[in-house]
Amino acid sequence: MKVAEGQWARLQFLSRVTQKECLYLQETDQRLFADPMTLESLQHIEADPVLAERLDAFVGRFGRLQDNLGDKLLPQLLDAMAEKTGAVIENLDRAEKLGWIDSADTWLEMRKLRNQMVHEYIEDMHILMSALQAGHRFVPVLIETAQRLTVQIGKLGPASAQDD
Amino acid sequence: MRLTPAQIDTIKSTAQAVLGEGAQVTLFGSRVDDAAKGGDVDLMIEVSQPLAEPALMSSRIASRVSRAMHGRRVDVLLKAPNLMEQAIHRIATQQGVVL
Repeated sequence: MKVAEGQWARLQFLSRVTQKECLYLQETDQRLFADPMTLESLQHIEADPVLAERLDAFVGRFGRLQDNLGDKLLPQLLDAMAEKTGAVIENLDRAEKLGWIDSADTWLEMRKLRNQMVHEYIEDMHILMSALQAGHRFVPVLIETAQRLTVQIGKLGPASAQDD
Repeated sequence: MRLTPAQIDTIKSTAQAVLGEGAQVTLFGSRVDDAAKGGDVDLMIEVSQPLAEPALMSSRIASRVSRAMHGRRVDVLLKAPNLMEQAIHRIATQQGVVL
């Protein structure tokens, strides 16, 4: 399928960003969850700057990848494939029907969950730990979604001047 | 209180589907005020059993209710025996309306 050159370039750019974001998220995910996370380790986070930085990196990278996929790459890809685009929820539903994401509901759930991963803000360690562990379990889903969208982008090519 | 009977029904059935029949829902914040306009939907949901996955449960209820209310912002505060009792819980209990 051929798409306008500007849009193709934009998709290529977003695809490169996504690949880097996946790599960084996987790295920080492995480091943060290398040792079992406990309520005690989170309670002492103020005395553990390395853990605090890892946690911030995880939350930041998780959020950036999810937003890049859902808010930028997905609508751009739907548009390039002449699919109707709309609000975030509509795009996610479309992506679920096309088999690009497993569940629009889970995707929205994870967006909401991110607010509860912020350690300065969440004072109940049960909630912080539950949010981080749910995020950890969702990392493979984000990576898989990124791969599926990248495969779709790979099927597209730029329209050359004589195609117009 | 500014919620329609259908919205109240959706909120209660979603909370009970995720947390069980005994979940009690309280509306607090600006939606309790009949004179205010628009605004987020702030819910406190209380259960009598400890919750293993509180962040996931509250996100699940909030995102489902938000979706049913056409993307309206919904925040869910949980109250359970294993969760810290914070000032916000007391405010919700004092100023809120049980649905």
